[in-house]
Amino acid sequence: MNRKGNVNLILLFFSILLGFMLVVQMKQHVESYNLVTLKSIQVKKNEISNSEKEIEELKLLIKEKQEELKKLEEFNEKGEDIQELIIEELNKNKVIAGFTAMEGPGIVIKMRDNQNIEIVGAEAKDDVIHDSDILEILNDLRVAGAEAISINGQRIMPMSEIKCGGPIIRVNGKSLGSPFVIKAIGNPKQLYAAINAPGTYGYTLKNVYKISIESNVEDKIHIPAYSEYFSFYYAKPKKEGD
Amino acid sequence: MQNQKKKVIKLFYAIIGTLIGVVVGLLLPITYSPTYALYVSVAILACLDSVFGGVRANLEDKFDVKIFISGFFGNAILAAFLAYIGDRLGVPLYYAAIFTFGGRLFENFATIRRLLLFRTKQKQ
Repeated sequence: MNRKGNVNLILLFFSILLGFMLVVQMKQHVESYNLVTLKSIQVKKNEISNSEKEIEELKLLIKEKQEELKKLEEFNEKGEDIQELIIEELNKNKVIAGFTAMEGPGIVIKMRDNQNIEIVGAEAKDDVIHDSDILEILNDLRVAGAEAISINGQRIMPMSEIKCGGPIIRVNGKSLGSPFVIKAIGNPKQLYAAINAPGTYGYTLKNVYKISIESNVEDKIHIPAYSEYFSFYYAKPKKEGD
Repeated sequence: MQNQKKKVIKLFYAIIGTLIGVVVGLLLPITYSPTYALYVSVAILACLDSVFGGVRANLEDKFDVKIFISGFFGNAILAAFLAYIGDRLGVPLYYAAIFTFGGRLFENFATIRRLLLFRTKQKQ
């Protein structure tokens, strides 16, 4: 009898444990019985972090806009002409877009085709400057922090093309012939190094392909504004906050 | 009839125990990460099966404490472990636990029913 009671007590105890576990599990409010894989948890985590990033960006935007609003309100209170502010902003935007002539210290690079008697390659094309050479040089200049660049008086814009046209190259739809004069405003030392340091593309052009490259650091370089008209056909501005 | 009553009392130990457990669980503020919900639910199924098996063994007077306790915990841990491994491998291995314990649950219940009802008929 004693043993039987023992058995019943053990059953009772474990039943209590079972009921307890059941209810604790039910209290979790698990909505679906789908398998929550580690992968899906990772995906959700990524989603959350992305959303948080977006929120952060939006907050920054709000701050920016509030500052702008404050400025405008200040103008309004003072009774000054708001036109001034708008023109100021327009000029600022023009500078950023490249529609303004710029001046400053920088570097002037003159590039000519191989003028040595010694011929490098088997064909004539190995001795002339190509569009890709110009592109490499431009990119090196940009890496070195060039703020404004022009080639033979053509301002290089974000969408400026550099196209092969046989013995010439075409930039901004204009044909440019050798010699090419590339002007760049920026830190003169860095720009100079970007062209002349051993291992750079300019160094290789000069010493292997015998292309004549002269680079001079100047204190005051004038770079003209973009003179063409440019309009967007396909790209449309994305609304803020989208 | 006396024998019959004893059997029902044996059954009631399990039912009352479960009810007490439910009340205690409702009163205690215990929660855990929902990540483990699947593992725990499979473990609960294993425990449920063990208790049914225990009740059945008790009715048959074949109850063994060691077998019961080892089954209760061992099955639960194995089931949760299977679910976890399946999770890591990307294969829902916890189905194995669900089918095994679910099937046995009904088997045990059927036996319990027969043990309770069959004796009654004999007595009549």
